[in-house]
Amino acid sequence: MTTATKTPVKPGKPAKVKNPNKKSLGRRLLKCWPFYIMALPAIVYFIINNYIPMSGLILAFEHYTVSGGIFGSKKVGLDNFKFLFSSPDAWIMMRNTLLYNVAFIILGTVLSILTAYLLHELKSNMSRKVYQTVILFPGLLSVIIVSYLANALLAGDTGFINMHILRPLGLEPISFYSEKKWWPFILTFVHFWQMTGTNCILYLANMSAIDPGLYEAASLDGASRWKCLTKITVPCLIPTIITMTILQVGKIFNSDFGLFYQVPMNSGAILDVTQTIDTYVYRGLMNTANMGMSAAACFYQSIVGFCLVMITNAIVRRVSSENAMF
Amino acid sequence: MNRKITALVLSLLMLVSVLASCGGKEEGVSGDVEKIKIYVPTSAKTDDMDKVMEKVNEITREKIGVEVEFKAFQFGQWFQQYSLFLSGTEDVDILANYGGYLNAVAQGAAYDLTDLINEYGKDIVAMEGDYLKSGQVDGHQYAIPIYASYAWNMGLLYRRDVVEELGLEDMVANVKNLEDWGAVLDAVKAAKPEMTPFVSNSGSTAYTFQYGSWDDLGNNYGVLMDGGKTSEVVNLFATDEYKHLCEVMHDWYVKGYSSKDIQTQTDSFTVLTQNDAAFSTLGQTDFNTPFYQTTSCGKPIDIVMLGGGVPVARTYNNVTFTVMSNTKHAEACMKFLNLWFSDVDVGNLISYGIEGEHYVLNADGMGEYPEGQDANSCAYHLGTSISNTNRIRWCTEDPDYAEKLIESNNNAQKSAGLGFAFDPSPVTNEITALDNICTRYQTGLECGSMDPAVELPNFLKALEDAGIDKVIAEKQAQLDKFLGK
Repeated sequence: MTTATKTPVKPGKPAKVKNPNKKSLGRRLLKCWPFYIMALPAIVYFIINNYIPMSGLILAFEHYTVSGGIFGSKKVGLDNFKFLFSSPDAWIMMRNTLLYNVAFIILGTVLSILTAYLLHELKSNMSRKVYQTVILFPGLLSVIIVSYLANALLAGDTGFINMHILRPLGLEPISFYSEKKWWPFILTFVHFWQMTGTNCILYLANMSAIDPGLYEAASLDGASRWKCLTKITVPCLIPTIITMTILQVGKIFNSDFGLFYQVPMNSGAILDVTQTIDTYVYRGLMNTANMGMSAAACFYQSIVGFCLVMITNAIVRRVSSENAMF
Repeated sequence: MNRKITALVLSLLMLVSVLASCGGKEEGVSGDVEKIKIYVPTSAKTDDMDKVMEKVNEITREKIGVEVEFKAFQFGQWFQQYSLFLSGTEDVDILANYGGYLNAVAQGAAYDLTDLINEYGKDIVAMEGDYLKSGQVDGHQYAIPIYASYAWNMGLLYRRDVVEELGLEDMVANVKNLEDWGAVLDAVKAAKPEMTPFVSNSGSTAYTFQYGSWDDLGNNYGVLMDGGKTSEVVNLFATDEYKHLCEVMHDWYVKGYSSKDIQTQTDSFTVLTQNDAAFSTLGQTDFNTPFYQTTSCGKPIDIVMLGGGVPVARTYNNVTFTVMSNTKHAEACMKFLNLWFSDVDVGNLISYGIEGEHYVLNADGMGEYPEGQDANSCAYHLGTSISNTNRIRWCTEDPDYAEKLIESNNNAQKSAGLGFAFDPSPVTNEITALDNICTRYQTGLECGSMDPAVELPNFLKALEDAGIDKVIAEKQAQLDKFLGK
């Protein structure tokens, strides 16, 4: 519905030329009123759900008290933001958040496309459905269950890896929950094990939309499978890849709390590689329940995310303007 | 046609749900009766809440002109929503606080009851005496603590039957310090390979030395050693005692007395003992611990109290009630709390429900579930954990609990910091950083999986960098001011 309202005002490159269709707002409203009525519920929804609560951002700049309320509490300027930067661990958590997200974006795109491609190439409908369901299933599990599945594999005394792989081979058991070198791999693995199924759906849908004639023509010309993939499939997916990447870049300072808090079982010894901004805020503020500081942390994440989306989009617009989101 | 009907049904459903969610709450002062709302946590069923509250209200209406409405939350849900309750967006007048009331005060969510308690809370004042201080900040009464066991110390909890079976009574009798316990663990490990000799008390959710012999003054950053004999605030983690405790734990870990997975242990000692999987742990011990633990574990449990075997009364009180600062019925709240804390009928009703329906009295005059009911089927049993001594005893309790409790509280060594409440707001940034550092090191050190020779210096360095000295100085200044009064 929202796209319906956007279409008439979509800015193109030759925006300087006066649009002959452009009329005053009143005339346009009058002319297209059924569309605006159709869009009304969505507009109202966005105002109530997404815009009015934004006034709560003021929480980030005040020392919230119940008696003062959201708008009447004492203003403290940027004090609430200090805890994010004053700690010696500050750069560690930001580094972790950024690096994990960069890895997730790059590897995630490659893995999703690869999985989608493999599924797409399956000739039998039946087996495609079976495989897709199998890959999708982990994404439907609660992260608590996932963390215990990981624990069943990794535990020191009773874990599968130690009990049934390392011990029979006569190797020293590994205590995973206190050695940090394993965790970047474990977390990445768990993330993709869970999320690839969901992430590849979009690419799969896009692949089936590619004109089969292109493949036929290519195979007549003697193109190999690999050639087809790199010269037809991937180029056709570029707009989707860009959109997905821009969306993910916007969340680059956020992390999947469940993955980083539950899967390492809150083990302290490996915090150097599992601490992200979200878990830091949770651990630091769970005991003090400070509304102002929590709001400040989220505000900071959103601002950075917003800036990054704008920057990425600007870069994309320069490189190939037809693929930019706005 | 079918589609149309579905659409019609769906839109009707939507309309109904919209209307239902708009359904207002009746804000109510009916006649002279004031209505108040109380949120409490529970671990039992409270399906018959309305019925029980009707009975409670018959008493309260007549005696103090107040009607109460209780809302009970399961413990897990409670801890997740507690912060939300504090934020003042809920329609609630009295809030139970588990694990301290200072957050409520810091956020301005607690009503200053100083004047009201003197006017309407005389029974509470008489009952609590000195211990009323553990609801105060700067001489203002912000919270009403329940009359709980204030005097305790860190101690070892163990399976008495296992000790008797292996004939280790003499060995146990000679245990004075934590390291003496190692010999007992060794004997148990040799004789009972299927039982873990030492486990952590509440899984990885709490620190092993949480109930140490020091007075932690609200948090571990700056404590009074030796149960608060002096008023000098020191850095706990830099003391020799702390280092020694960590060394003992690491020794046990290396020797295999504790599990290699102790750091990520998720089950509590209680659950593990119920399944014969654990022999001993470290925890909070007082006069009632053996009795209480024996009932909840279903196995005979005894204790060795460490710290010289002397229980210490300190700042900490786990359960308090605060009145929300945005309430319109502060007086009614105070009146009701006073009645609850002093009236046996109200106490019994709230804890156990209606006599004959939710509980019956046994031959000794103690409460028990009616015939054919148990904890899972009884429709109301809020339980005793948030209640006082003014009620009949439940059949699983020590019949002399109330007398023993008063004796224990009166005879305890009192910490110099008793009644002191630390206001963390000048050092919030430091505490946030310190909490994170403790997550990294404290669990590992205290359960023994980290070698203190290597990690303790790193821990101390990290604490220093995060500004623990500033917090300690602030605490000392506040304590001096408190004591100077």
